[in-house]
Amino acid sequence: MGIFGKKEAVTEGGKGLMLLREVPDAMRAEKVLRKAGFSARLVAPPLQFREGCDLAVETDIVEQVAIKRVLAQGSIPIVRMLPLGTDSIEPVSIVSVVDYGNAAMVRAGNMKMAFDKRTGDILNISGGGCPDVPYLYAQFVGRNLEEVSPPRDIGYTLCALMLDRAFEECLRLYREKSNAVDCGDSAC
Amino acid sequence: MLLIAGTVPVENLSLTVGKAVSESDNLKVAGTNIPCTQGTAAMVSSATATLQYLGLKEAPTVALIGDIGSGTGSKTLYKYLADNIHKLKPQVLALHYLMPIIPLMEKAVTACKECSPSPHLIADAGSMYAAKAAGLSKDFEIMTPDAGEMSFLADPNATHPAYIQHHFLNAESHKVPDLIRQAFERGDAPHTLIVKGSTDFVATSGEVVDTISEPDVPAMEAIGGTGDTITGMVSAFLYAGLEPPHACILAARANRTAGLYAKVTPASRVIEVIRKLPDVFKKHLCEWSGVCIIPQKGKDCLERRDL
Repeated sequence: MGIFGKKEAVTEGGKGLMLLREVPDAMRAEKVLRKAGFSARLVAPPLQFREGCDLAVETDIVEQVAIKRVLAQGSIPIVRMLPLGTDSIEPVSIVSVVDYGNAAMVRAGNMKMAFDKRTGDILNISGGGCPDVPYLYAQFVGRNLEEVSPPRDIGYTLCALMLDRAFEECLRLYREKSNAVDCGDSAC
Repeated sequence: MLLIAGTVPVENLSLTVGKAVSESDNLKVAGTNIPCTQGTAAMVSSATATLQYLGLKEAPTVALIGDIGSGTGSKTLYKYLADNIHKLKPQVLALHYLMPIIPLMEKAVTACKECSPSPHLIADAGSMYAAKAAGLSKDFEIMTPDAGEMSFLADPNATHPAYIQHHFLNAESHKVPDLIRQAFERGDAPHTLIVKGSTDFVATSGEVVDTISEPDVPAMEAIGGTGDTITGMVSAFLYAGLEPPHACILAARANRTAGLYAKVTPASRVIEVIRKLPDVFKKHLCEWSGVCIIPQKGKDCLERRDL
């Protein structure tokens, strides 16, 4: 056991795949499980279970009783738990950055977010094709990176998950730049 | 009829079917105002602007429904199309932002194929994801992916662009023709593709037939909706009778030029680009395509010239 009675995040007893009803359920499950100290990773369900916009959670199958209890406490229903024989596919994790001078655009998978490097204001969101993308656009564009909830807390789909990755990178870049400006030449 | 179907981010908007009318920076459909932002609304607005310029009196018919990501609106729209496409009888059906749901896309496409004549199908955004994942790309006339989505079409196992295998990623421009060829050979690309990016590629039967890279307006990539405007123009040009690759080439040129005229920055809105389309058409369409508006007594007349 780790400190404060939490389990340490290790995967020893064989991987299992948890299928959930909706993408937001999978995103919440990953968050809840990690917070409780379990290993959890968002991955693609096996091909035969995919319907188009799906997400599953890879975890340690021997811990499934405890995992189910934690998720039940969070009112997150599991559809099925499967043993995992082969390496699973993770959603795309590569991000790239385009510099526009005072603005920067971060690409993550099929999603892009542009922000003002001086103020942290979100300037634009482009790419994607799931129905929550225009909704996220309306919720985020014109607001500040520091004041909005992450896209994964508002969105429903894999596009929202990709946008979340772009958002995290935008926030990291903005904070890095802000800290550099705050510190000036001194080491801090 | 040009029918455009997709979701809009208006919570609780029930299925709304009617002619699209552009009013200021909004779309009006069956008395409902839809803000012209990224997504289906931008696509409809650019299609409307294109048809208006071409002098086609018939505005696009649209089937819109509210969906902010739960998929509920998308499911209703798929079902509406499957049940009603034989009554609507569109010549062109452009499918746009929809939750990718393979079984429902299969039903909608099957219903389209049972129509006589069956509509020319165009897919972008979530509809394209669903069509490819369902193995139905060949039933479409045109798809309009960006470079990243081209990797998705080329990856035989990907059911969503979030699940592209690593060796298909990082689609630099010089790799796009290969991805197009692979996707087409596997049956995962339609006859005509326009791949949107810093260079736009237009391909037929898996081979690139033209590339468009001028004017170069890098900020366009950052602006939400600038791919949707291309799909809207492609749909309108196809409906007006242009051949699919020709429709794609014109749309790519017009989009870039509208971005240049609008002097866009990464903070610009897509409506700024759409507002410039009539100017772009007026100045360049005849020269680019032979599609010319000839002023006549009291009315303009659309004429096709062979240049």
